[in-house]
This record gives sequence, structure tokens and C-alpha cells, in this order.
Amino acid sequence: MTSQRQALHRLGGYAAVCVLILLVPLFVSDGYLLNKFARYLVFGILSLALSLSWGYAGILNLGQAAGFGLGSYCMAMALKLRTIPIQTGAGGLPDFMVWNNVHTLPWFWQPFHSYAFALLAGIGVPVLVAFLIGWFVFRARVSGVYVAIITLAMLVVINLVIIDQQRYTGGFNGITDLTTFKVFGVEFGAYSVSTYYLAAVILTLLLFLGLALMNSKTGLILQAIRDDETRVRYFGYDVANYQNFIFCVSAGVAGLAGMLYTLVMEFASPTFLAVPISLSIVIWCAVGGRASLLGAALGAIVVTGVQGSLSDSKTFLDTWMLIMGALFIVVVLFLPNGLISIVDVIRDKRERRRLAAAAGAPRRTAVVAPSRSAAR
Amino acid sequence: MSIDRRKFLKGTATAGVAAAAGFPHIWIKNASLAYAAGGEIKVGVLYSLTGTTAIIETSLNHATIMAIEEINAAGGINGMKVVPVIEDPASDPATFAEKARRLVVGEKCVSVFGSYTSASRKAVLPVFEKYHNLYWYPTLYEGRECSTNVMYTGAVPNQQQKDLIPWLVKNFGKKFYLIGSNYIYPKEENNVCKILLKQLGGEVVGEEYVPLGHSEFSAVINKFKETQPNVIFSTVVGDSVVALHRQYKAAGLDPKKMPMASLTTSEDEVAAMGGEFAAGHFTSAPYFMSYDSPENHKFVEAFKKRWGKDKTTNFVSEPAYFQVHLFKQAVAKLGKGSITPADVRKAAWGQEYKAPEGLVKIDPKNSHTYLWPKIGEWQTSGQAKIIEESKEWVEPLPYWAYPGQVCTPDGMVEKKG
Repeated sequence: MTSQRQALHRLGGYAAVCVLILLVPLFVSDGYLLNKFARYLVFGILSLALSLSWGYAGILNLGQAAGFGLGSYCMAMALKLRTIPIQTGAGGLPDFMVWNNVHTLPWFWQPFHSYAFALLAGIGVPVLVAFLIGWFVFRARVSGVYVAIITLAMLVVINLVIIDQQRYTGGFNGITDLTTFKVFGVEFGAYSVSTYYLAAVILTLLLFLGLALMNSKTGLILQAIRDDETRVRYFGYDVANYQNFIFCVSAGVAGLAGMLYTLVMEFASPTFLAVPISLSIVIWCAVGGRASLLGAALGAIVVTGVQGSLSDSKTFLDTWMLIMGALFIVVVLFLPNGLISIVDVIRDKRERRRLAAAAGAPRRTAVVAPSRSAAR
Repeated sequence: MSIDRRKFLKGTATAGVAAAAGFPHIWIKNASLAYAAGGEIKVGVLYSLTGTTAIIETSLNHATIMAIEEINAAGGINGMKVVPVIEDPASDPATFAEKARRLVVGEKCVSVFGSYTSASRKAVLPVFEKYHNLYWYPTLYEGRECSTNVMYTGAVPNQQQKDLIPWLVKNFGKKFYLIGSNYIYPKEENNVCKILLKQLGGEVVGEEYVPLGHSEFSAVINKFKETQPNVIFSTVVGDSVVALHRQYKAAGLDPKKMPMASLTTSEDEVAAMGGEFAAGHFTSAPYFMSYDSPENHKFVEAFKKRWGKDKTTNFVSEPAYFQVHLFKQAVAKLGKGSITPADVRKAAWGQEYKAPEGLVKIDPKNSHTYLWPKIGEWQTSGQAKIIEESKEWVEPLPYWAYPGQVCTPDGMVEKKG
């Protein structure tokens, strides 16, 4: 099989999934379900973001949720400033600031009166933070597990600052009681079809853009860095620049996901950039297949979907966490490249069978059961 | 072109399988089911069974379930059974919001009982407001909230502090040190405490907030030694309470001279630290497990029988229990016809119930609850000896410290002038 045919098949797979996702609102009109699915799609975007840096460039960012949370807060700040303050009556000051005896809107809240600024900041702030961290980390040629430790520490620091500065951030409660996002006459309410489509379209675009990026020269160099950093350096490439680039892109995508998440959840909370969710992203990525953008996104959708339905069902109320844990172990043990690699495994087996048949003497294929049910 | 040989082709079949697994709820049942259909009244039970606040929230879940079982054993409400839909929001605000949506929209519950932390209450509020449903919140909290979609059955600051602060000043002195966990509840309680102290001519010699989960108090204890307050007013929560009490004792401080008076230490925290570390300190709350009333004896006995001999009841699980009975009375008043959350809310106003702590009543003015504040002194046994109790029920005033603002049935309003 030629690699061109493979690439075509991959494009077809990506397109099929995207079409399916975009078709969902035709069959589901219930606002609650749309909201729930939109939430899963947002996780898909977030997981895709980690796949960009971890799966393709080998940078295990345990602080991926930092960008997510910052994006979420930027969006929440803009929406909060447009909320009619029903709890306080004070002129345009968010309710939690009044409770904390703040009397004037702090300077860094001021520009969030503008949606344009907020949308830019939702991506720009995570990118900026990532750039600063990445600058020091990758210049110093830090790699492997130490990147993971540093990014995790960064996440914890940002989280603590947000909780501690409750006068300006709403602290532990986060920013709640938000107005509905509205641009060009379209309302993006939490339960609306428009919000679902927004998430679905953004996921679709990112899947294809990501694919294009990874097949570009830059993408190939990144994958080469993942496989052997030193060798790429000896070829004369500035490894740190490439690494920082994808680290920033990944943070920006996470920020975008965070902004969507605020729309879907109707609040921003410090738990959005806490350690548990950050580690979940790694799990989604690993379960779905970290070296595939589609795999990572589907991993998030499948894991959170199964998690949601398991914990909803009466039978599994006490055991759902256990079952999830067991599932993760099974996947990691038997499909180390994630669920998406099922396709790979099946293709390899068929290929082997065909080659064996062509050679006339089937040697090892005797145990392989025909797998007509899956894949095409 | 040799791009990445290990890349996979993706057939549409995988996509289909994955999508089906990802969206298992496409075929959800009865999306248009009315409230209280088929002789059943569905209610949501939304307390975390896993995660950081699982221990305390499990006790709330238990109290709620027990109350529902009692109601059903006594024939239900107007012949209809109460059916609890139990969820585990895993101590995570986002999951709280997700599960609340399922209960309100997916399951069409007529009310939901839930939440321990303010953060989780704030996270579910938009859901209840959007769908005009009703949330029953049993925890003592900071007040300053007036949602038309919440029934508040826990204490607000004026109920916990109005008797406590004068009593402390009278018995121990006017110098207070305020220590709390760093979030909105302790800050708001301390705002109230400072107002009361000012009226009594008291003095705050120190005010400090530690991060949630903080367990290293030696610096704080040194400040206690330096400033020598008469009372340490504590709104530290969770595991930090245990650390604070143990380190207090290890530092050789004496509760007789410098007691800690807490709004947040319950039987559960005392059990976790060991009674000897709590002995001599005080808590103000409407309910203690040791309270001597026929209703409480019955409650404690039933709780132990249902959930295990070693289980304790506390000032959050008691409201979690009695609020279900208040709900029952409200629904009973509505008869068999249509039951909407708005009807339940209206019918609940003014309802009285003989709770373990005494006769409680939902205030029709603000949907908070009249309660019976008590002051307990902790004993080595892990139980509190009740040394003061309010002579009458105390009105809930969620905006007590803010004279310009009043909670009304239509939400918060500003008083002019």
C-alpha cells in the first residue's frame, strides 16, 4: 500500500467523523443533549491540543489545562461585565468584587468590555504564558520528564494565584452568573444549536489545519524532533524554536477550547485549570491515540461520554471509577497506540494474510481470525 | 513522499463505532415526560460520593435517602411515591453542572437536593434559573444570595453569630483573632463578626486566611502566642481543622484561656482529629448530635440503624434530612394535580416541621429557614455539650450586614434612601 493511498484514507476518515459530528443536530433537538455533546466536543479540542505537542513533538505538557482555564476566564470576564448585576446593584462591578470590598474595576478587567479584546486574549494570554515558559525550558534544552514537571508546576502556580486573588478572580467559586454570548445577532446560549455548531466547526477546522500543519515541513521536523532531538539539532535546525512554536500553538488551541467551555458550562472555575483535568487530558490522548489528532479528539469524546453515562446509571453508581480505571489499563496494555490503532492492527493483519496467501504458504496467519466486521 | 508510515487509515466504520460509543444518550427516554407522572414524584439527589468532599457529602446523601425512605414507608405523598434519582458529581463544579442538567432536563425532577460547597451551588445555579427548577441547599453558608430557584435550609451568618459573639465577649474577653480558609465563606463570616465586635467594643488583633487544605499552622500559632487573643474565631474548613487543633495542642496552648470558637467544626471533623484535641473548644451551630430532644433521638437512632453504628450526624446532614420533609409537606399541600417546581416553592413558604434541632420554618420572605442556634463545648468523647441555646427560633437574614439590601420572593432588592 502506498503512503499516498494511506494519506487519502486518513483524509477520508477525518472527513467522515467531522460530517457525523456536524450531522448530530439533525437527529438531536433536545437542548440538554446538545449541550452535553458540545461539552464532549470541547474536550475533544482540548485533547487535540495536547496531541499536537505530545503526540507529534514529544513534549508532554502536564499543564495543558492552564491554557484551557485562562481561555475560559477571559471569556467569562467579558461575559461577566455584560451581566446586569442582579445580586449587587452596583454600577457595573462584578458581584464577587463587591463582596470582597473592591470599589473600582481593576485595570486588567477594563479591556474586557470589548469582545474583540476578550476573544484575542482568550488565545493570546495562553500563548504568551506558554511562550515565556517555553523560552526558558526549550532554550535550556530541558526535555522529557522534566518538561512534564515544570509544566505541572506552572499549572499549580496559576491555579493557586487565581484561587488566592479572589478579590479579582472570584477565587474558589470562579466567575459565575454570566450573560449569553452574542455576536452578529447570533446567540450562543449553552443549550442552543448554534453553540453546538460552533464547537463542531471549530473542531473540524482544527482537525484539518492540524493535519496540514503536521504534513508541512515544520510538522515533519517536529516529528523528527520527537524521534531524535539530537540528530535534528546536528542537521542545523533550531530545535528550541520549533518546540516552542508547537508548545504555543497547543496552548492557543487549549485557550480556544476554554473559551468554548465557558459558553457551554455558563461559568469559569479554578477547577478548569486544576491538576485532575490536566491529567485527564493525558488519559484521553493516550486512550484515543496520541499520535493522531483524530484519535486524541475521539479519545476525549469517548472517554468523557462513557464516563458520563456510567456515572449516570444506577447500577454503576458506586463502581464507575473502578470500571474507568480498568478500561484505561486494558487500552494501555493491549493498544499502546490508543483506540485509533485498532484500524492499524486490522490493516496489518489483512496485509499479512494477503502477503502470506500470495506467497502460497500461510505460516503465521493460522490463528488470525478473519475480521470482516470492522473497518470498511 | 514518505509521510509517517505508522499513520493509520481511518475507515468510516471506526468513525461510526466511535460516534455511537461517544453519544450513548441519543435515544434518551421520555424527554417530554411531565413532572410527577405515573404516581411517582422524581427528585434529584446531588451530593458527591467521590472526590475531595466525598466524606461529608456522603453523609448528606445518606440523610436525604433516609428521609425519602421514611416518607415512602409512610405511604408517600398523597399516594404518590418519591423516587430519588441519585447522581455522583465527584466534587467537581463542572460535573455538578452536568449532573444538574441531567436531573432537571433529562429526568424532569421536580426538585433537587444537593451541594455542600458554595462553589458547586454557584455552578448549578444557571441550570435551575434557566429551567425554573428548585434546588434545596442544606449547608450553612455566607448569605448574600437570594435566588428565586433555591430553598436555603442551612444557617446564614446572623443565625450562627448573633448569640455567639456576645457570649464569647462576656465569658472570655474582647480580643479576637480571626482565622479562616481562603474563600468567600470565611471572609463574609468575618465581615459579620467585625460588625458585631464593633458594637460590643471588641477588638480584632489579627486576621488571617490560609489556603484550602493547608496543614502547617506553626506560623499562625506563633502569632496567637504573640498577640494573646482572648478568643480565636475560626472558619477554617476541612482537613485544615484537624491540623489546626492538633498543632494548637502540641504548642501547649490552653483552651481555657484562649479557646477556638468555630462555625465550621462538626462531629465529623472532631472524629477525624480525636476528641482530646477538640476538648474545651466551641462551635456555634443549630444542631449537635448530642442535642436532647425526642426528634433527635429518633433521627440519630434511625441514621445509625440505616447506615451503620459508627456513623455520626452533624449540622449539615440534619438540614439535609429535614428539608426533604419540608418538601414533602409542600407537595402534600398541592394535591394530586400538576406539580411544578414553582408550585412547590410557593407551597413550601411558611411550612413548619419539628426537626431534630427544634421547630423550623421556611421564611416566605426570602426562602431561608428559621433555625435554633446553639453553642456546644467539645468533650473528649467527640461529642459536644450544649451550654447555650437560643430561647426562640432565629430569623434568617441573608443580607444582615448590608442594611441597604433585602432578599424578597422576587430576588434581592435595594432599599432606597
